Amino acid sequence: MSQRDSFQNFLARQCVWTIAVFTLLSVLQLWSQSPELPPGPVQGKIRTACLECHDSRIIVQQRLNKAAWTKEVDKMIKWGAVVDAADRDAFIDYLSSNFPSDKPAEPMSRTSSPKKRDHP
Amino acid sequence: MISRRDFLQQVSGAMVAAAASYPLLSWAADNAEVVVPGKEGMIVRSARFLDLEMPPEFADSWITPVHHFFVRNHMHEPSTLDANSWRLNIGGEVEKPLILSLADLAKLEPHSVTNTLECAGNGRGFQQPNVPGVQWGKGAVGTGRFTGPRLRDLLQRAGVKSTGKHVMFRGLDEIPGKVPAFIRSIPVEKATDSDTLVATHMNGAPLTRHHGFPARCLVPGWIGAASCKWLTEIKVLDKEFEGNFMKPAYRMPNQPIAPGGQVNPDDTHAVTGLNVKSIIAGPADGPLLKSKAVHIHGAAWAGEADVVRVEISTDSGATWQPAQLSKEQTHYAWRLWNYDWKAPKAGDYTLMSRATDSQGRTQPQSADWNPSGYLYNAIDQVKIHVAA
Ligand code: HEC
Repeated sequence: MSQRDSFQNFLARQCVWTIAVFTLLSVLQLWSQSPELPPGPVQGKIRTACLECHDSRIIVQQRLNKAAWTKEVDKMIKWGAVVDAADRDAFIDYLSSNFPSDKPAEPMSRTSSPKKRDHP
Repeated sequence: MISRRDFLQQVSGAMVAAAASYPLLSWAADNAEVVVPGKEGMIVRSARFLDLEMPPEFADSWITPVHHFFVRNHMHEPSTLDANSWRLNIGGEVEKPLILSLADLAKLEPHSVTNTLECAGNGRGFQQPNVPGVQWGKGAVGTGRFTGPRLRDLLQRAGVKSTGKHVMFRGLDEIPGKVPAFIRSIPVEKATDSDTLVATHMNGAPLTRHHGFPARCLVPGWIGAASCKWLTEIKVLDKEFEGNFMKPAYRMPNQPIAPGGQVNPDDTHAVTGLNVKSIIAGPADGPLLKSKAVHIHGAAWAGEADVVRVEISTDSGATWQPAQLSKEQTHYAWRLWNYDWKAPKAGDYTLMSRATDSQGRTQPQSADWNPSGYLYNAIDQVKIHVAA
């Protein structure tokens, strides 16, 4: 095999690698959409209403009582979150029972290095 | 068979597609790895909007490298930033409104300020009872060398009228839904201070996108929110700007209040200068140390004041010894400090650091509680276990 062919093979392998990694990541991405939002009657509605402007981290890291969650939900509705009036109380119940003030702090991940991914 | 050139084009096409999907990954997938080019090993408080915290072990460098500098965004970063078409509008209570390009800024005399920038909410996660907001730990802070023309020189060209009392900044942040715009103002006295800048450079290089490219304010010694990023408008006002991010946000009660208490919004003032504070960069909280010789080190800062003393306690606050302050020192920048200690015997220890500044302020045992968790500055501590 000529040097040129082996270079092309190398590039082809790199290319396949890159595509494979990114396909895998996008599949993972679909599976893992907002996994931290725990199951509950309004889980789906919260995903639609509350992850439009920001991801779920800003929600799951809060540790608040019901009064404070009520203020947050009303502030977000004022800022443009689309929440059916009939769902407001269920949202507040969901958030204050899943992210109450006495729950231990949420562990947060760190950014990973892009270099690691470019040269697996 | 495809030619090598075609092939290379396809490969680079794939690379471009791959690169373009980086931000998407952090957008939709909340649990997937977050890759933010130019930012490594940072604690992800939020991926969209981007809020990144510096882990405390990086508070070991007098100038924080840009890749470890914290990022605080209230909303989306501008999706397009073009240095050529960027303009800075200066208006309001001025004789001669101005529109400046980046080239115009570059013609003005540059000035550099090494400044410790800290988010007003740094340490909010330690407030008890809990308060809403980004639950920052210790690292929404960093020290950078910022360079650009003085804001004073720009305001002088525009000619501030005697009615001008406050200077308002607006950035190019993209506003989602009906969220109020991120607009704030600072008093004209601070705006015309010789160290207040319209910075175009950070640590000797043009600002990166996450830090406000192509130009941002640098209001030294003040909370990070004063130093508006992606600056596009400066407006001189006859009074403090009234908007969400001046009130009710970024305000402190005039009187100390009981933890968990209510505050009358009219009995508050805007948060301005930073508190006196120190953090321990090492040893890290928690681990088992094999050696009895422990190098305790970290950083201390005091906003517009200077750090005069850092003390260390290795016995949970019963006794205190002075730490050594590093030589690097300028007004507005943190001081690194260190203290070499030999544990008398194996066991658990709580190490503490306490800074005192030139205004006589000392870090308290517990920080003043306030409903938004601003300016948290309690004595820092880490717990370690020294092996036998
Ligand atoms: C229209 C855009 C938008 C929608 C929709 C939205 N938010 Fe927010 N949210 C924001 C912005 C902007 C911030 C950040 C404000 C800041 O950093 O100062 C925020 C911050 C938060 C915070 C952090 C605390 C705070 O007040 O800063 C929580 C908690 C939160 N949102 C919860 C929710 C919930 C729950 C929903 C759904 C009911 C929701 N958000 C929907 C825009 C939105």
